[in-house]
Order: sequence, then C-alpha cells, then structure tokens
Amino acid sequence: MIISGQNLSKSYTSINALNDVSITCSAGEIVGVVGANGSGKSTLFKILLRVMKPDTGTVTINSKRIKPIGGIIEKPALYEYLNPYENLKIFASMQGLETNRQFFLDSLTKVGLPLNRKDPVRNFSMGMKQRLGIAIALLNNPECLVLDEPFSGLDPIGIASLHKLITSLATEEGLAILISSHILDELNKVCHRLNVLKYGKIIQSGTTQELLNKCTTAYVITASNIISSSILNTYNVTFKNDQATVIIQPGKISELLQILHSEHINITSCVPEISMNKLFEN
Amino acid sequence: MKNLIFAEVYKLFKQRKTYYAIAAIFLIEIIILFSAYSQGQSILDILLDNLSQSFHFEGNLLNGNLLIYLILNTLWFHLPLILIIIISGTLTSEYKDRTVLSVMLQPISKWKFILSKYIVAILFTLTIVLFLAMTSFLLSYAIFGKGDLIVFIDTLNFFESSGAYYRIKYAFLFGSISMVFFSVVSLTLAIILEETTKTWIAAAFFLIISNILLKVNFNNYFLDKWLYVKLTDTWQYLFYFEIPWDKIYWNTSLIIVYTIVTMLVGIIIFNKKDIA
Repeated sequence: MIISGQNLSKSYTSINALNDVSITCSAGEIVGVVGANGSGKSTLFKILLRVMKPDTGTVTINSKRIKPIGGIIEKPALYEYLNPYENLKIFASMQGLETNRQFFLDSLTKVGLPLNRKDPVRNFSMGMKQRLGIAIALLNNPECLVLDEPFSGLDPIGIASLHKLITSLATEEGLAILISSHILDELNKVCHRLNVLKYGKIIQSGTTQELLNKCTTAYVITASNIISSSILNTYNVTFKNDQATVIIQPGKISELLQILHSEHINITSCVPEISMNKLFEN
Repeated sequence: MKNLIFAEVYKLFKQRKTYYAIAAIFLIEIIILFSAYSQGQSILDILLDNLSQSFHFEGNLLNGNLLIYLILNTLWFHLPLILIIIISGTLTSEYKDRTVLSVMLQPISKWKFILSKYIVAILFTLTIVLFLAMTSFLLSYAIFGKGDLIVFIDTLNFFESSGAYYRIKYAFLFGSISMVFFSVVSLTLAIILEETTKTWIAAAFFLIISNILLKVNFNNYFLDKWLYVKLTDTWQYLFYFEIPWDKIYWNTSLIIVYTIVTMLVGIIIFNKKDIA
C-alpha cells in the first residue's frame, strides 16, 4: 500500500466536511472517489496531499522518495503568463531538480502535449492544462498521484485521452492513483475500486464491478430489430427507436443476451443503467 | 533556498505589471522634470523674491540637486504605493491563480517559500530605489546641471552643491530602508488577507495612516522614540543643517528590527495556514 488515510475528519466553521473517512491505494491501482458537489472530495484530497491538516486521523505514505505524492486539486493551477516549457521549468527549479531541455520535452511528450506551443498557457484549452498539471504533478517521480475532478471541463475526446494517460501511468509506471469525480461514468472506466462519498462520509466502497452490479437496475440494449424480440415482452421493458431498456438483475443479463442472440436479434451494445439513488443511499 | 529565490525573481520579471510599475516610476520622474523645466523658475522667483534682495545665491537655484530632492520626495507616498501594489501582488496573484497550492504540492517547505518571497521583495525594493536614484541623478544633472540646494524643513536650509549631492545620496540610502519596511508590511498583509483588492486597500490605508500619524505630535517620549511612524521619515533628517546621525542610526536600527519582526510574523502565519 502506497497511501493510506485513516479516520480522517475535518470541520469548517459551519459544516462537517469529512467524518471518519478511511481510504487506501496501492501501487498500480486506480481508486475512485465519487460524490456530489460539496460531498467532501476536495477536502479529502487536500488532506491526502498534506496541504490541509485534518482535525483527526492520519495520512501515511509509504514512500522514501523526495516527492512521495503529486496531484491536482479541483483544476490545474499554472502560471498563466508562462508557456508549458517555462511552467515545467519553474516548478522543477523550485524543488531543485537537476534537469535539461530534453527532460522537459520528454515530460511534455509523456502527457501528450504538443512541443511547438510557445504561447502562454492562458491560451490553452482545459484539457491541455490538465495534461500540463499532470506533468507538473509527475515531476520528481512521485509514487502516488491524486487527481481531483480531472475530467471536469473536458470534451469527450479530452476525457478519453486522459483515461488513456491515467491508465498507462498506473499499469506501465506502477503509480498509485486516486481520482475523484461527481460523474460515475468517468470513474468506472478507469478505476479498480470505488468509494462513494456523501456528506463527508464514505457510504459505499468496493471494486468497481461490485458497486456497479449492486447499483445497476436496468440495461439499455441496442439492436436494429430489437422490437421483434419475443423474450423481452416477458420483462419490464420500454422501447425507444432501436433501444430497449430492460429492468433486470446484473446476474441474469448474460442469459437474456444469449436468448436474444438465439432470436437473431443483432445486438450492437448493452449498457448498464446505474441508479444514482441506490449508489448514494446509506 | 537559492532555487526558490531565482524562481521568484524569474516570475517577477516575467510579469508585465512589474514593467508597468517601473514605467510608472520613470513617468513620475519625467513629469516632475518637465514641470520644473516649464514652470519651476517662475515659482522659485516668487518664493525667493524677498530673500534674493538680502542674499546672494551662487548659480541657478533651479538645478539638478533641487530636482533630485523633489523626486526624492516621492518616497513619501508615490513610490511606497507602487511598491506595495507590486510586492503584495507577488503573493495575492498566486492565491488568486491558486499557484500557491501547486507550489505547496511540490516538496517545498512553506517557510522557505514565503521567506524567498520576502527576500525577493526586499531585493526588488532596493533595486527600484536604486533605479530611481540613478535615473534622477542622471536626468536632473544632464538637463539642469549642478548647483546649491535650497530645502525648507522648519526653516530654509541652503547646502552647497557638493554637500547637497552627499546628503541626497544618503537620503536615498536611508529612504530605501523605509521603503523595504512598507514592502514587507504589504507582503505580510497579503499573507493574512490573501485577496488582491483587500490587500491593496489595507496596505494603502496603512501607508496613509503612517503619513498622517507622522505629522502628529504625541508629546510622549516613548511614542516619539519607538512608534514605527516616527521612523519612516529618517531620510528627511539628512536635510537638517546639522545632520543628527545618532537619531538616524537609532531610527534605522529600530525600523530594521520592526521589518524583521514583521517578516517573522508573516512566516509564522503562512506556516500555520491551510493552503486551500
């Protein structure tokens, strides 16, 4: 285990932002924290990143590196008047990193930033800023990366590309990665484990698959001839164009798909519908 | 620490507002020189009409030394105001853009980071005063030449040209220490208030109150000797006929101590604060 936060609590003047929260993340693992706005995600991550002191609880980071942990809180905070190269250079120099030009070019390439942009980062898209923020977080080779809402403000291409980057950092470089989001769909594609945070408390946790199965109440099956299926009429189903939304338990979807196949239904996709009420109920 | 100081200098000189501040200081100088060139002689003639009937003045009184003295008087308000805007901005802009959070996410100690900001603030202040001194000497002597200096402090004081140069030079030196004090106070206010406008208002208010209280006669030995406002005009003592060096050394030592204490308070507050 690289990082562990145990029994973390934090109160502000009028609210209890975190209440006895425990969370862990191991090398090569991607752990997600999902919660609505104001659920305490950023407070939790600030405490894990040690820029905020908890009222109670401890954070343990099992790393002997100079920089055990790197991260981004809410959105990447960059020197907007500097270009990406200069931003990397200044953050590296502040921590006394021995570097050269090639090092910075490699860092930019690693996160998929173009090398030909010499203009200030104030002109950059949010996706590019997120990438530069990650490059800065990765300076000095941390073993753990904490990304708070990394997908916010990104277009679908940006989200897909960031998914790929995060996955490769965990699988290829063995980083322990903690990500938060208020949108479950973004997390379930990359996370091995998920924690659901509500009003400062973790109300559910487990592997991504376990949580998805627990909270899936229906599946949307797409097929051009879906309306001709007879088996679907025995389920609680609603049709819309080429899609059928079937209320069925996750354990029985495989059997239904086989029957649909035997009925010569040309299925092109089957997407679980997750009940947010179930996910966020205590 | 050296890396942090270099980084702070790099950031300071990469921002346009730093150059705007330098340009503003230079522009104030130019305006003073231009006003003196166009109207100075007639004003001096009115002021000295009676005296010139009784005394003989060597050379033209509207000379470089008088002009440098007029520029030196920007140390009362104009220069510290520009300095507090720039110096407090080095931190409030980091709070606004949240880069202070990005910095604190790196393996950098909080006290070293803020100490480096204080060091750069002091170096920048000294550089700006040096810039003001050099440009005012160069431009004033080039345009108006040298001559005797007439200064009104309680009474009219006349100094020969060589003595005037010596006094002005030291006035800039001791004035720079007062400017450092105001810069350090503005950075400490930025640590406490974080927000740009609030910090500007508080720092400008501090400067105005200091200037007002300076003129108040407390008739109290302790306040007159120890209150900071009575120490920020030490550079003016260089224009008394007899320079009170003991008073100058005492005031300077005390304001240096106050500056260090203000820095320490700022460092302690910054260290205790959550960066969120």
